[in-house]
Amino acid sequence: MPPQKCAARGGPPPPSAPSYATVSEVVLKIIKHYHEEGQGSEVVQGVLLGLVVEDRLEITNCFPFPQHTEEDADFDEVQYQMEMMRSLRHVNIDHLHVGWYQSTYYGSFVSRALLDSQFSYQHAIEESVVLIYDPIKTAQGSLSLKAYRLTPKLMEICKEKDFTPEGLKKASIAYENMFEEVPIIIKNSHLINVLMWELEEKSAVSDKQELLNLSSSNHLEKSLQLLMDRVDDMTQDIVKYNTYSRNLSKQQQQKHQYLQRRQQENAQRQSRGEPSLPEEDITKMFKPPQAPPRMDTLLIAGQINTYCQNIKEFTSQNLGKLFMAEALQGHSS
Amino acid sequence: SPEDTKRVVRSTKDKRFEELTNIIKTIRNAMKIRDVSKCLEEFEQLCKAFLKSKTVVDKEGVPTFYIRLLADLEDYLNELWEDKEGKKKMNKNNAKALSTLRQKIRKYNRDYEAEIVRYKESDESEDDKEDDDDDDVGMSPSAFLKKQRAESGVFLQDEEDEEDSDDDEDWGSDSDDSDSESDDDEGKHTSLASRFLKKTTTDEDRRQIEKKKEDKVKKKQDRKLRRVEEDDEEGMEGEGEGEWKKVEGGAPLVKEKRNMFAKGTEINIPVVLKKLNEILQARGKKGTDRAAQIELLHCLAAIAAENNLGEGILVKIRFNIIASLYDYNPNLAAYMKPEMWGKCLDCINELLDILFDNSNIFIGENIAEDSESLAVSDQPFRVRGCILTLVERMDEEFTKIMQNTDPHSQEYVDNLKDESRVCQIIDRLLKYLELKGSTEEICRVYLRRIMHTYYKFDYKAHNRALAGQKGESKSEQDQAENEGEDSSILMDRLCKFIYAKDRTDRIRTCAILCHIYHHALHNRWYQARDLMLMSHLQDNIQHADPPVQILYNRTMVQLGICAFRQGMIKDAHNALLDIQSSGRAKELLGQGLLMRNMQERNPEQEKIEKRRQVPFHMHINLELLECVYLVSAMLLEIPYMAAHEFDARRRMISKQFHHQLRVGERQPLLGPPESMREHVVAASKAMKMGDWKICHSYIINEKMNGKVWDLFPEAQRVREMLVRKIQEESLRTYLFTYSSVYDSISMEILADMFHLELHTVHSIISKMIINEELMASLDQPTQTVVMHRTEPTSLQNMALQLAEKLGGLVENNERVFDLKQGIYGGYFSRDQKGGYQQKQGYQRDYQRDYQRSYR
Repeated sequence: MPPQKCAARGGPPPPSAPSYATVSEVVLKIIKHYHEEGQGSEVVQGVLLGLVVEDRLEITNCFPFPQHTEEDADFDEVQYQMEMMRSLRHVNIDHLHVGWYQSTYYGSFVSRALLDSQFSYQHAIEESVVLIYDPIKTAQGSLSLKAYRLTPKLMEICKEKDFTPEGLKKASIAYENMFEEVPIIIKNSHLINVLMWELEEKSAVSDKQELLNLSSSNHLEKSLQLLMDRVDDMTQDIVKYNTYSRNLSKQQQQKHQYLQRRQQENAQRQSRGEPSLPEEDITKMFKPPQAPPRMDTLLIAGQINTYCQNIKEFTSQNLGKLFMAEALQGHSS
Repeated sequence: SPEDTKRVVRSTKDKRFEELTNIIKTIRNAMKIRDVSKCLEEFEQLCKAFLKSKTVVDKEGVPTFYIRLLADLEDYLNELWEDKEGKKKMNKNNAKALSTLRQKIRKYNRDYEAEIVRYKESDESEDDKEDDDDDDVGMSPSAFLKKQRAESGVFLQDEEDEEDSDDDEDWGSDSDDSDSESDDDEGKHTSLASRFLKKTTTDEDRRQIEKKKEDKVKKKQDRKLRRVEEDDEEGMEGEGEGEWKKVEGGAPLVKEKRNMFAKGTEINIPVVLKKLNEILQARGKKGTDRAAQIELLHCLAAIAAENNLGEGILVKIRFNIIASLYDYNPNLAAYMKPEMWGKCLDCINELLDILFDNSNIFIGENIAEDSESLAVSDQPFRVRGCILTLVERMDEEFTKIMQNTDPHSQEYVDNLKDESRVCQIIDRLLKYLELKGSTEEICRVYLRRIMHTYYKFDYKAHNRALAGQKGESKSEQDQAENEGEDSSILMDRLCKFIYAKDRTDRIRTCAILCHIYHHALHNRWYQARDLMLMSHLQDNIQHADPPVQILYNRTMVQLGICAFRQGMIKDAHNALLDIQSSGRAKELLGQGLLMRNMQERNPEQEKIEKRRQVPFHMHINLELLECVYLVSAMLLEIPYMAAHEFDARRRMISKQFHHQLRVGERQPLLGPPESMREHVVAASKAMKMGDWKICHSYIINEKMNGKVWDLFPEAQRVREMLVRKIQEESLRTYLFTYSSVYDSISMEILADMFHLELHTVHSIISKMIINEELMASLDQPTQTVVMHRTEPTSLQNMALQLAEKLGGLVENNERVFDLKQGIYGGYFSRDQKGGYQQKQGYQRDYQRDYQRSYR
């Protein structure tokens, strides 16, 4: 995987959303971390260190969170982080906390846990990002590393903790604008670049390349499976919401009827010269049903979106390959 | 059980006697502290208590401790009376009490003079005392007591009777059983001596009858009564209470000679009838000694027989004896004591004897009391009563006895031996009614007979059939067949009569169900099934009463098991599905109550449910039932699962089976199977892989043989059928599961793999191809199956599933949208609605689609 040559990104970014540069060291560290500790659907996490330079966030270093085991349940993570950062400062390495990274399993990362922790990061350190590393895709030949931030809108909602349908509607937030992806530029030091060139020269990679290998069915199947699970969740949520809105409208109707009756009665009383009935607290009589929180639904929608993107990407590649194969075959025969 | 009944008797006795002894204790205490007024008070109470316990005392004789107190108290009072000095010191109250008490006790003790003297001298010589109760009456307790006694007809007359006491000793040494039997005054005597003695007694009675006066009519009855009770007591007291033994052994209670009829009375039918009515009037009244009543009726029957009053009156008395035997237990839930039960059987047998011997007796429920003709004349006897009802009741009592006996005890077996007697009686009654009864009655008695037949496997007929199969000549087989009536022929005859003649739906329903059950039990699957289908019982059984429903459930289960034995797996599964899927098979078959909390069932309901239980010997083995069901489900479900592995809308054939599979999967560590269920689950797993040999070894092995398969009459045949089914279904499963791996497969190899003949494999595969279960074709010359590979791959399947799920999602989504737009939209504010209005056009199109999909 030849590291990209890089340049700092120009353009006028919004002040709180800088573009990012990472250093290959960080990428390699993350990959190493996953290969050492992560297996299957297990997820590895770690802390990113770096500093903000102009409109860029330069991530220069990282260290992993230790794996949780049953024995050390009372392990203090914060303590560990502080300890690590202090140690790093002693050896004069960038020690500013600028976010965290996480591996993912077939692109399933849009979850409540991620939202919560990213929110707390972004709340504390404004410029922090989350780096998502997809080991499976990487293993297939294309490095998959994405950086995400919460949009300002979502930040506000999370601050207010208002996940009711109305709240979300007011904030006009949808799954598309929950996260914003930040472009990544991988920048290596010149020494590394030189090494890379040298390695490329030396490497005895065979010329025979399996260009047309589809090798996708497993990946696709898995993605479909996961997508299906999410769709099921979504259906459930929708049914829940449906029941809620039906209940709500039923109650509205009752309330309305009640008010009308009361009005009629009052009119009658007035015509008879009696004092009208006192106004009662209607909200007390008709307690609106508990609205189901919508955040999870949004997240599911977001996750479905990611899956769909993944699958689309994959299939479009494969389709291309298929057409190529067809053409080749037609040519040869 | 005998223990129980004894305990009951003792408890009433004990209660009374405890009361007495308590009072006596206080009296003795008062005596010690010379508190005469207290003595007087307590003595009066004692007299009352003694009166209350009269029935017990009548049975037991006057208790010694009572006599002892009377004697001691009298002595004590005399002593005080004599002691002038002491008397002077007494306060006024005490002195007054002393004189009253002295008078009272004198008078009172006169009644017990004999006992007191005996107590004092404790020698054998007995004086006989005439009961001179006619002197100064006053309001003394003793007089009161006597009055009471005279009124209730229990009139004590002491008279020396040597024979009687002899008799008594004999009886005392006998067991309870022989007592009751000798009471019957009829065959089956265990002790000839007692019988002989009894005869002489009654002879004596008759001689003395001449000398007796009219007004002493009741005395004999009373004597009999006492005698029996004393005998009972002797039997029961044998185990404890030495005190009682001493009295009875040392000084037998005074026996009086009494007769039911006064001497000189000519014993004729009206007199006996009058007597009978007299006895019957006491029936059902509080405080009537039911045992005594039965005894009296027996005596009456004996007298009637001696005087040759004709069978009419005998039949009538017997009817009443049986009726009062049934009455013995006031509680519906309680069951008859063994001795009562024995008596009851004997009595019914005797009654039938009489009825068979004398064809000129007409009995019937509808003969009015006053139109009876009991006299010996040319005209036939007419007696009111219904023998059928009595026998039906007897049958019910038998069921009750069986229900209340511990099924795992020897006692149960002993009780069960009576079943043949019950059957015998029903058979005799059946013969009798066939001659005399109306069709309705015949139907009823037939049903009884059927009820005693349907659940029994006819081994004789089975063996005959087997022998016939084994190559005996046809004529011989026919001969053997004719030896005795097969239960199937019997069932056929009885049931068909009922089908034709019955007017009440219930009897017919029961008869049909029993008939089906019997067919099913004897492997006549098609007859059973056709009868079930023709009767349309499945449609309306839910309107029947619970016992019939239980019978229906039993029949369905038996039908299912029969289908299984015949290899009709699907039918077996369908028949058993209803019973097994509820998980309450035990309750539905009336074989036990489920544990439930008291909220769901109050004690009253519980009693009713208990009464519905089927006796143990008629139970259907629940494990067998479950095993048959699970194995059927396995044979159906596993190939089905294999065929529809990717089908999102796959339905479960058997929920219960799936439940068992899940339970098996949840097991963290899988050991070798232990229970029947584990065996089936393990076998299912093997079958899923198409491995019939392992499946076979799990289903048929030592353990399963012992638990299930050996319970079938033709175990070997069933096992062979089962192996065959396992092979076939495993082959199907194998093809479903692995067809995608093969391009083509040789049928010979398949036949070899599953130990099936080539043509069977051929037929199975052909069937699968025809049913479009397997996308393949047969290549005849090479005997191979060529797969078409039109089955979607797993990825395609997944995509299909996803599409389906997305469809559901869209549908649900639209529903949400609908709700916003729909009927309730009026309440939303305008501006909110505006957003959607722009999409109206789109929505209308969509809705049409949506509705179409719903239609």
